Amino acid sequence: MQPDIKHTWHFNQSPEEVWEYLTKPDLLEQWLMKSDFKPILGHKFSFFDKNEGDHFCEILEIKPVTKLSYSWKKPKMPFDSTVTWTLIPKDGGTDLQIVHNGFTVLKDYNDHNHGWDYLVTKLVERLNSGK
Amino acid sequence: MATHTLDAFQVIADPSRRQMMQLLSKDSMTINALAENFDMSRPAVSKHIKIMYTAGFISITDIGRERYCTLKKDGFNELQGFINYFDKFWLGKLKNLEILLNNKTNKK
Repeated sequence: MQPDIKHTWHFNQSPEEVWEYLTKPDLLEQWLMKSDFKPILGHKFSFFDKNEGDHFCEILEIKPVTKLSYSWKKPKMPFDSTVTWTLIPKDGGTDLQIVHNGFTVLKDYNDHNHGWDYLVTKLVERLNSGK
Repeated sequence: MATHTLDAFQVIADPSRRQMMQLLSKDSMTINALAENFDMSRPAVSKHIKIMYTAGFISITDIGRERYCTLKKDGFNELQGFINYFDKFWLGKLKNLEILLNNKTNKK
């Protein structure tokens, strides 16, 4: 099991320009989803998706033109996760890195059991060993 | 009694089932031994076991008079599918963004 989703994508545009596309709702809508995003720490917002259901998010970290991190939760899935964008100036453009990780069972589902992490670790081992 | 087929996320959403799987991650156990760890009726335990079995999280083997439950990876593959889904999702979105930014640059 690959618990982290990680991609790095190079853009010819400057980090400032790429940043706008990560933080302005009208621009976000053009490539990702419609949202009520605001670039404010702790702001709770949603990405609206008619087909797949809305995504619920909260801004966890924001460093202008450098780093943006928000929680990412989908209904019907008892998981919470984190999406982190990092912008690195490279060759006159930008390396944009996304890491989507921290797939954890929601606290509401976890009140009777603190051993889930252990279980997941065990299963990862089993899956990796191909048993 | 009809047992609804639950998807992998619904299966693991229940704390008792997660606890059962946690116990089974250490070793195979009989249904009786498993039931001893829970303050619930035997039919309730059986119902959880049936749900996990149906969703491919455990297998059940009869040895003598006992029924042994063993963790199975099929159910967990569905969770892996969720990770794969987002992997493709983000690749697709990054591609969108690239097209968008390049079109914008070309228009200048």
